[in-house]
Amino acid sequence: MGPTTGEPTTGGFTTDGPTTGGSADGGPMTVLGIDAGSRTLPEAEHLLRTVARSLGLPGGTVGCTHFVPAGLAGDEPHIACSLAVPGSVTPPADVSWAAGGQRGGPRAEGAATAAAEHAARRGGRVVTFPGHDLLTGTMSVAAIRDGSAIERVLVLASPGPPGDDTLVVTNDHVRPPASVSGLGC
Amino acid sequence: MGHGHHHQHHDRSHEPLDEGEAAPARDLTIPDEDLSPAQLSRRRMFRRAGLLGAGLTAAGVLGTQAEAAAATPGGREPKDGYLWLAGDHHIHTQHSGDGIYRVIDQVRHGNAYGLGWVVITDHGGATHAKIGVDKVNPDIVAAREAVKDTLVFQGLEWNIPAAEHGTVFVAPGRREVETLKEFENSFDGSVKDAGANTPQNEALAIAGLNFLAESVRKRRIPDALFLANHPSRKGLDSPHEIRGWRDAQPSIAVGMEGAPGHQAAGLPKPHGPGGGRGYYDGGPGADSFPGYPAESYKTFGGFDWMTATVGGLWDSLLAEGKPWWITANSDSHTVHGDTSVRGPGSDFDANGRYEDPVYGGVPNTGAGDFWPGYYSRTHVGSRTFSYEALMDGLRAGRVWVDHGGLISGLVVRATTAGHGRRGATLGETLDVRRGDRVELTMEITLAGRPNWAQFVPTLARVDVIQGDVTGPAPDKDVFTTPNTKVVQSYEVGRTSGTVTFTYRLGRVDRPVYVRLRGTDGKRSAPGLLGAGVDPHGPQIDVHGDADPWNDLWFYSNPIWILPRR
Repeated sequence: MGPTTGEPTTGGFTTDGPTTGGSADGGPMTVLGIDAGSRTLPEAEHLLRTVARSLGLPGGTVGCTHFVPAGLAGDEPHIACSLAVPGSVTPPADVSWAAGGQRGGPRAEGAATAAAEHAARRGGRVVTFPGHDLLTGTMSVAAIRDGSAIERVLVLASPGPPGDDTLVVTNDHVRPPASVSGLGC
Repeated sequence: MGHGHHHQHHDRSHEPLDEGEAAPARDLTIPDEDLSPAQLSRRRMFRRAGLLGAGLTAAGVLGTQAEAAAATPGGREPKDGYLWLAGDHHIHTQHSGDGIYRVIDQVRHGNAYGLGWVVITDHGGATHAKIGVDKVNPDIVAAREAVKDTLVFQGLEWNIPAAEHGTVFVAPGRREVETLKEFENSFDGSVKDAGANTPQNEALAIAGLNFLAESVRKRRIPDALFLANHPSRKGLDSPHEIRGWRDAQPSIAVGMEGAPGHQAAGLPKPHGPGGGRGYYDGGPGADSFPGYPAESYKTFGGFDWMTATVGGLWDSLLAEGKPWWITANSDSHTVHGDTSVRGPGSDFDANGRYEDPVYGGVPNTGAGDFWPGYYSRTHVGSRTFSYEALMDGLRAGRVWVDHGGLISGLVVRATTAGHGRRGATLGETLDVRRGDRVELTMEITLAGRPNWAQFVPTLARVDVIQGDVTGPAPDKDVFTTPNTKVVQSYEVGRTSGTVTFTYRLGRVDRPVYVRLRGTDGKRSAPGLLGAGVDPHGPQIDVHGDADPWNDLWFYSNPIWILPRR
């Protein structure tokens, strides 16, 4: 999360984006939770991308990471993931998962927690979303809004939103918190 | 001690001891219980006179008060009855996997920049526990000998199980190394693979503090202290863990860094690292306390969110009446602009240390640290210049901190109006009758001379922060308190001389506490809990654009005022 320039405070985003809506083929969407006991965010994001690729999901698929406390799906706190997928998707074979009422694998409870957070928009951070590949370098707030699913940019410890021409240093790493997002996590 | 001149019915404490007899009394590596009665008597006299410690051995024979005054280290004069010794409890050396300097490099710099005490805190870990903890000790002992007017403690940067890093340090003694080594091998989160935020690991942290307390109780070591370092950096120190440490061993677990080190880390590229001030660069991870807000991962005017938020976590502890003190340290690993590089042929894993640093020819603009004493200072009111007294002062909370030499001295007293008594100073409690009028007097010695960035800082404003003491919090994870706010501000706008302010609390009918904060006034914003709580608080620091010299603050520890019923 980079700072904004033109605003004398450091940057941090909350976003309001579109809802996930239906799948590309018009069928119903569901949330797939996955849990491989990742202890770090980079590990979890790698898992998220690997699974999304293996399922053949499009690049703009909304995918999130979620913290799972100790005692739930393992002795240590860790990170599970969630993906908005077409209802027809076949769960991956080698990770614990949860989708709808169905579950598989030893960490299914962690996966279910992630899926439930995603569905209820209670928590997590959005990693992949429409336009996220374009959020690199330094961009204006307006360009971020126009080019991605992000609808709102806020600055930490700042009373109002930044102006449209405020520059945001993305550090090529934009991970909006999902708890206040319209993106569906 | 085998010197054979025992005169057991005669107090020899004011007679000259021969050099062989006197030396052990001055040698703090020899515990009290190993001294002869005459030697112990002599040591007590030294203690009373404020002479025991590194400064003592420098002076040789100390027969008269005149010589005693001359031996006062660094020409320091007592103020309000205490020697105010600036120090730093968070310093790394070549015995850290991410360090570079010798012990003597850090001590000499700290000494030159005015520090009266330093703690060497290399990272806990397998290699350090096996090799480094032993190897660093002779270097520390040699530094004590070479730099007489700076106290040099041995400690470590403990990987607190289930939490962040913390300073653990001990008073010198014959068993300091073996005790630190056993502590590290038994309770370090890295050695024990106990970093994850689990109840078992939280319990291991408490067990570690209990071990330190027990080691002091059994007189295995003369003293030990623990302070939490960069507590908000990764959100790992939950409010209930902090309360748990303090409540488990209040004489050992005494505080936290109000300001982290690495204060140069926010200097913009290409002349600086371009990171977060304090290297507060991250966000929450799996082990973070989920209740902490996004702002908590940033610094505010160089200070940690727990301390910088008026009415925030620190105040929530003080409002419980819990003594919990703040410090400010360098966390010096590699100094911004320094030309040193690691010694060639280094093998840290095999040797427990890097080879001595060598001249590298290029200023390191990517380094985010300052030398000890160069920017961050923790000022402790110490009864004497000695290891024990310094630790007592820190434990008592007789402590204020500053950045960039913003002010030179601070004397604070809470008194009952018209009583003419000395009252209470930082860290203490003033007992009053309900309804007594109470005053807070602040005497501030302004900077008066250039700091290490070659300008004389201007103190623009001083804020008095006051809160109600509301007793134990039912929720151990609470991190706000409702009745703490800035109650008075004073404009100063001067660089030299002494200014005195008196804040009248009025008739005090309930337990309260007060603390002070001051600033150069260059970066201010309403506090996170609103302008009604803190109209001109520190601003959040900008990632990659935070010049620490143009954003200076000082903070004092609190004084409580407790009316009797």
